[in-house]
Amino acid sequence: MDAELVLSGVAFSIPWCFALVLTFYRRNPRAAGFLAAATSVLASALLVWESASLSAALMLLFGCLTLAAMLVLPKRDCAPGAVAGILFTLGWTLLAYWTENLLVLLAAWVLSALPFLIARWFGARTWRPGAGLLLSSFSLALAIVLIAIGAHSVSARTFSMDALRGKSPGGIPVFALLVAAVTFRKGILPAHAWIADAAEGGPAIPTALLLNGHLGALLVAKTIVPLFPQTSGNLFPVLSYLAMGTAVYVAIRSLSENAPRRLLALVALSQSACILAGLESRTAEGLTGALVHWIVVTVSTMGLFGILRLLEVRFGENLSARTHLGLAEHAPRLAVFFAVFGLALVGLPGTLSFCSQDLLIHGTLMSHPLTGLLLPIATAMNAVSIFRLFSRLFLGKRRTGFTAMADALPRERWILTAGVLFVVIGGLFPDAIIGPSLGAGVAEQRDRGRMVAHALHSALRF
Amino acid sequence: MSFLQGALVFVVSAPGAVFGVLSFLWLLGWVPAERTVSRITGLTFSACAAALGALIWRLAATGAPSVAVTFGNWFTVGDYHFPLVLLADRLSLPFLAMTVVLSGLIGQFSATYLHREDGFLRFFLLLHLFAFGSLLVFAAGSFDLLVGGWEMVGITSVLLIAFFQRRTAPVENGLRVFAVYRACDIGLLVGVFAMHRWAGTASFAGGFPMLPGGQALVVCLLLLLAASGKAAQVPFSGWLPRAMEGPTPSSAIFYGAISIHAGAYLLLRVQPLLAQSWTASALVILIGAATAIYGTIVGRASADAKTLLAFGSLTQVGVIFIEIGLGLRAIAVAHILGHAAVRTLQFLRAPSMLHDYHQMHSAIGGELSPTGKHIENLFPEQVQAWLYRWALDRGHLDTILDRGVIEPLMRLSRVFARLDSLGLAEPVAQRRRATPKTPAELGASR
Repeated sequence: MDAELVLSGVAFSIPWCFALVLTFYRRNPRAAGFLAAATSVLASALLVWESASLSAALMLLFGCLTLAAMLVLPKRDCAPGAVAGILFTLGWTLLAYWTENLLVLLAAWVLSALPFLIARWFGARTWRPGAGLLLSSFSLALAIVLIAIGAHSVSARTFSMDALRGKSPGGIPVFALLVAAVTFRKGILPAHAWIADAAEGGPAIPTALLLNGHLGALLVAKTIVPLFPQTSGNLFPVLSYLAMGTAVYVAIRSLSENAPRRLLALVALSQSACILAGLESRTAEGLTGALVHWIVVTVSTMGLFGILRLLEVRFGENLSARTHLGLAEHAPRLAVFFAVFGLALVGLPGTLSFCSQDLLIHGTLMSHPLTGLLLPIATAMNAVSIFRLFSRLFLGKRRTGFTAMADALPRERWILTAGVLFVVIGGLFPDAIIGPSLGAGVAEQRDRGRMVAHALHSALRF
Repeated sequence: MSFLQGALVFVVSAPGAVFGVLSFLWLLGWVPAERTVSRITGLTFSACAAALGALIWRLAATGAPSVAVTFGNWFTVGDYHFPLVLLADRLSLPFLAMTVVLSGLIGQFSATYLHREDGFLRFFLLLHLFAFGSLLVFAAGSFDLLVGGWEMVGITSVLLIAFFQRRTAPVENGLRVFAVYRACDIGLLVGVFAMHRWAGTASFAGGFPMLPGGQALVVCLLLLLAASGKAAQVPFSGWLPRAMEGPTPSSAIFYGAISIHAGAYLLLRVQPLLAQSWTASALVILIGAATAIYGTIVGRASADAKTLLAFGSLTQVGVIFIEIGLGLRAIAVAHILGHAAVRTLQFLRAPSMLHDYHQMHSAIGGELSPTGKHIENLFPEQVQAWLYRWALDRGHLDTILDRGVIEPLMRLSRVFARLDSLGLAEPVAQRRRATPKTPAELGASR
């Protein structure tokens, strides 16, 4: 237990230390960011080896994403402030994954988004991202306040998730506030618009990291379901319907979108909304599918946003999917990476998402035969949108406006190859990702007559 | 693993392995010479053909009806598992042989046809991936695995339609075909789910899972949707002429031989279920008949050789659907094999045939006289004129799809975009950055 504490402490505090150092000593930001993220990854890996819990696995995943971001980050974006912001977000996100305390979770929830609320840091150009993040924080804070009011005496155990498990603290109002927090943070309909605004108006790679934290799904899995088993059983399908509605709405919305960043954000949002549907499905397939999909969506989305940013740096920031730009002639490897990540996001066979989609479709169709049909429909539309973006950006006549532009640089190529290998090898050997313990854990606990909390909690082992 | 099993695994996996190795090396910076690529392709498919020949010979010698290779489950979650089973039986072996032989031939043909073409390596990589996907479809012992191969065939098909990527039309047509494929594949995904739900398995290696009448009908209809999409049956036929934008060898192997018949294979595979439901069988016959009539009428008004051949394919596949609906399984398989061989030859011969035809015209100092004996002459002139207009617009199928599905969807998408813009100073769609024009836009305007 002590070793776990030390390792998790290292995992989230080292990025903070480096962020602080970069604030004053503004040299070699990439090296500092890489070192901090690598340390975090190492500590998380040891934590996985030590505890083999899903929270540790998620910490490792997010650490790896940040490490990759440090390598892919173009020179233009690699300012000390930006790297410090990324490390700041990394530290708080890892803490959110790790913590068992609602107050700490609230702090991590708010502070992981802080750089995106400050206009001069990672702030977007429109008001909606800030509003979405603030409203989600406000909802979570209010829910915790209500829990505290409902408790007879306030102590450390009042906010311990272990102590509150199964007690439905605060009843329906707290449940509703927690669901509102998820809705705002995750971009569930009708609070979805800020995601695309953030992606378009903010810095691409840090925003992708923020969105790929999936703290909304984390709150569902870690807090709502274990704390409110009765309410979850009765009212939780509403969130699932909203998630599936979001997946379809956003998929339709993306069909006419021409701004690449916005389009990517919409597709990523649609695909990640499926995670909630899977978590709610109350089936072993759906739960496992949701968790694997979580991994696939984060890796693929990060890769896609990274490549898009690399293209913007090379070919101008006003790239549009309105016409064919023919960039594959200049950057064939980036084109291939984009195609693989894009198709991996929407269930290409041979990639990990094929398995996750397969499980998600089975899980959601089993629990909701009619609304579950929306999932493959949304995925089909997302696939069309991603292919349209790929074809408009990379195919078409070679543009004479570009001279000798570099394809992927070695550091970019290696890290993107690692990402592609992860989704492909993960697709060829999905059991290595799904994990016998995870699959079995879900399976053992799967009993449709029981409360969803038992199954989910045992599976997730938070 | 016995010799038979080893041979089956080799046949299916060899093209996939070649694709994986070549593409990985390319990603790391290696660009192989044309000769290297064509030799590797030739060797791969020759080895596959030899292994498959040995497999067929041993099966015939021992009198065994099939050979199956079980690798266990790809992944298992709770009661659900994804079985990794390869199966070579009397239905799949002819399709496997067709795929290996024709892919090898197309590889050899393309080495010359695409000599010094920009996308030479890309074509061969996609050919290997396509062969792998097709072999997976035909050798899959479960519908789960079949879905994997099916999707691979779809994506390679689309990427080859957009092969000449500098032109806008092939790229846009590729996107259209992709959309139709994905829409129809929903039927396959949900159909496989339904089999899991009702029959408890989607594996047919140990005997086909049977379902009661109503459930059999639902599964058949869902799979029929997928089969119709892949085989370009009515009302999804509009994508086939668009697919002719790809290089001729890929048109030959996809739309003359293998991909176009994958739908028929799927129906042949679910024949036991089809036989249970006369409604589903009748629908298969109806779709097949409608497609055959559509194909022959529209084909007659086609102005270019490849499109004409594509509609010829469509007509034949329509007839094959009728045969399957009638339960004439052996005839359908023989028809598929014969048709695939002839049509591939026709596609490959099309460019030089036109050249020969022009030479013949020059030699005789004029044009060859038309025969004037066409079946449409039997119709009254007004009907002929109407049919001609109908055929020129390819049965209005694309128009119906545009107006009935795509335009409403795009209108809805734009309504959503306006809704999303509420509360912003200017609509999202009109918002542009304040930076000057990019090189991309400057290049586009030149």
